[in-house]
Amino acid sequence: MMAQLDLPPIIEVSNLRVAFETDGGPVVGVKDVSFSIRPGETLCVVGESGSGKSVTSLSLMRLVEFGGGRITHGRLAFTRSNGEVIDLAQTDARTMQAIRGNEIGMIFQEPMTSLNPVFTIGRQLEDGLQKHKRLSSEAARARALELLRQVRIPEPERRLRQYPHELSGGMRQRVVIAIAMACEPRLLIADEPTTALDVTIQAEILALIDRLKRENGMAVLFITHDMAVVAQMADRVVVMHRGEVVEAGPVADIFAAPTKDYTRALLAAVPKLGEMRGKLAPERMRVIGMEPVVAISAVAAEPPAQPLLSVRHLSTRFPVRGSLLRRTVAKVHAVEDVSFSLAKGQTLSLVGESGCGKSTCGRSILRLVEAEAGEIELDGWDIRTLSVVDLRRARRDMQMVFQDPYASLNPYRRLIDQVAEPLQNFGIASGSEITDRVAALFDRVELPRNFLRRYPHELSGGQRQRVAIARALAPSPKLIVADESVSALDVSVQAQVLNLLMELQADLGISFLFISHDMAVVERVSHQVAVMYLGRVVEIGPRAAVFEDPRHPYTRSLLSAVPIADPSQRRPREDQNFRPLSSPIFPVGHSPAPSLYDEVTPGHLVLAEF
Amino acid sequence: MSYILRRLLSIALTLVLISMITFGVTNILPGDVAMMVLGTQSNPTALAGLRQTLGLNDPLALQYWRWVVGMLTGHFGNSLMFKVPIGPLLLQKMTASALIVVMSMALALACAIPLGVWSAVHRNRWQDSTAASAALLGISLPDFFWGIVMILIFARTLGWLPSSGFTDPSVNFIAALQHALLPACALGLGLMAHLTRITRSTMTGILNQEFIRVARAKGLDERTVIWRYALANAIGPVMTVAGLQVGYLFGSIIVIESLFNYTGMGWVTYQALLNRDIPLIETSVFVIATVVMLVNFLVDLLYLAVDPRLRQSR
Repeated sequence: MMAQLDLPPIIEVSNLRVAFETDGGPVVGVKDVSFSIRPGETLCVVGESGSGKSVTSLSLMRLVEFGGGRITHGRLAFTRSNGEVIDLAQTDARTMQAIRGNEIGMIFQEPMTSLNPVFTIGRQLEDGLQKHKRLSSEAARARALELLRQVRIPEPERRLRQYPHELSGGMRQRVVIAIAMACEPRLLIADEPTTALDVTIQAEILALIDRLKRENGMAVLFITHDMAVVAQMADRVVVMHRGEVVEAGPVADIFAAPTKDYTRALLAAVPKLGEMRGKLAPERMRVIGMEPVVAISAVAAEPPAQPLLSVRHLSTRFPVRGSLLRRTVAKVHAVEDVSFSLAKGQTLSLVGESGCGKSTCGRSILRLVEAEAGEIELDGWDIRTLSVVDLRRARRDMQMVFQDPYASLNPYRRLIDQVAEPLQNFGIASGSEITDRVAALFDRVELPRNFLRRYPHELSGGQRQRVAIARALAPSPKLIVADESVSALDVSVQAQVLNLLMELQADLGISFLFISHDMAVVERVSHQVAVMYLGRVVEIGPRAAVFEDPRHPYTRSLLSAVPIADPSQRRPREDQNFRPLSSPIFPVGHSPAPSLYDEVTPGHLVLAEF
Repeated sequence: MSYILRRLLSIALTLVLISMITFGVTNILPGDVAMMVLGTQSNPTALAGLRQTLGLNDPLALQYWRWVVGMLTGHFGNSLMFKVPIGPLLLQKMTASALIVVMSMALALACAIPLGVWSAVHRNRWQDSTAASAALLGISLPDFFWGIVMILIFARTLGWLPSSGFTDPSVNFIAALQHALLPACALGLGLMAHLTRITRSTMTGILNQEFIRVARAKGLDERTVIWRYALANAIGPVMTVAGLQVGYLFGSIIVIESLFNYTGMGWVTYQALLNRDIPLIETSVFVIATVVMLVNFLVDLLYLAVDPRLRQSR
């Protein structure tokens, strides 16, 4: 349904300003924001972290007050179901409670923590209905069941009696949507509803929100940082930066002809799936202010030389313990008969959805977890048979950069000490040489030298990730395992960090095992790609072969689920239901069939059906 | 279910260990049961004869075995100083102590949970800092000091409650409560301060969770959000800490019961120690350890009942 432009807007925000009380005085979270949404319309508010987009959405619900914020200026004109127009900024707490969850519904980012762990799904769906619609408990239960059916949750009767931890992330987010939809709100606010989800589930949830909007004629305020999601969902777009609206307009205009530099930079930094078609080697990300560079390196285009890392028939299984004596009753086959090789100076990406075993695979190679079978050979070291002493030596050659730069740095130690640690541990440098080396590493990752004596909390996420990269570089490794290393970063920062990694590869000849769920990023940076599903590599080959000629059904469904940052290439919006991951848990002693591959073209292998 | 069996098994093993340690340690202590019975001036032949009849010359392992089998069959032996069977004696004293322990725990929880929740809701404001200072005061001063203060105020000055003594609850329940109230309050004060802090920090963490925001976004009123949605998640951790504090309470009653001349478990253990009543020491230490462990087991079962996540993973 097209937005009903003749109808008056459901919500009209004008000159919203929100301030937070802090110890250092008031801080303005939102400076000046205005927009309106009509029935049946989706407005996407897009921006990077700290842009004030979430504060805006919380202000509409007046939930911002619970986080210490205060609406200091502006009008939030909301048309209630009885036609009355009220200013939400001035509404008393009681009336707000009657509006929240009733006339305005809200969906949040983290499905894993959005539901109360000690109450049943049924209770959490029913209590809002009982409050707002004064339904009897039987009527509320019936409506809850209907809602679960509406959001297409299988076996809804059973779900009502279940607790949140018994449901998968995608299902929990469906429950959260059902809660938000329970009283048929006029306005639905979705604050990054799919950011924490896998792409296939993201596609399902986006389609679901779109269907509910069309069926109920609600207005949707969709908050996201993801330009691709904007392109797929929005009727109109508001771009926010540092608490202000930078640009607003219809989605097609924003993507086709952005008028502001910031919007252009934001759009440029987003990798688009498919844009690497016909290119031989990985390419730098576009960062506005820098000229596009053609090929990243000469090394990249050369045929793979001798492999630096070769993994053969790697299997890693975790015990599931149970019963009285904590015996192993079953095993999780996290990595199952995985083989690949990685050439010097190249990037092999492991892609797949959460739980597919890609991280375990990376950790097994570094022996951070012990594999159960297989061979790992890194530059002549037979990693799996190394003694503790030799493993320590071998670790000089293989380092890791983790996902969360907030958790991977020690908050109590200065950055210089943390980056110097590998130098000291491996006896590479001592005394004043350490300081010189760390300073040089800081130059290398483009961090100012005056950061040396700072602590992690003084840095932004992107800067912290640079520190983590500097630390990984310190012992001059040959292989770096980057496990979702840019996933937590804003797009512009992500682009810069990816460029840094590619430069390091070109200059130092480092090989990267790049673990990621983001297909567009993978397409941009990889030489080789391995798609993982249920612990196995289902398809592996040169980047162009896997992306341009995907053969395995799972690779295809994964690629088709990725939203494309181009509103002219919208995917059809019928409901999607991907088949859920089956369980990788098997009884002890179960030996699954070996992974056998068909070679489509030289180097492009597809798992044979078994 | 298998979790409960596993816990029972580990409790049984721990009890065996505790029985060995208490038996071992009390046997290393200076003092001779025979001499305690006959007095220091008794003649050596009679002493040797008594040692023989009591089995004190047998190997330690055999004596230990006899003690354990005795306890399992309900024969705890006789107290040397009270000259009565230990079983009924400790049962009576344990009932007396349980009364003040349960009262102090109930009082502490009844005050600590609302106070802690209130602090968490008004985090970093004057309400919170007042509660924090009060809790610090409660924690820093030892409980016998509070006991003295209470005796001075409620017994001496106001005359509302007796300053010392004990009444058997089966004889006069009201009088028993009156005697137990002051020691329970003295014990409960420090406990309350501690539990207030735990409740506050647990609730603070929970109130920052996303599901609290979701509950508010549903339009639920603050009372429901805090006292139902949030508190249901805090009960488990708070009860676990409270359970661990039961052990600390049984340590504290030794001083408190002596101060109030309340003849419970603490008092009897202290008397036994003073008079080297070895059988009584052994058994009372063992009984206290057993009770503390069972209480913690019950708390874990309670946690299991309130948190569905544990029911599944165990």
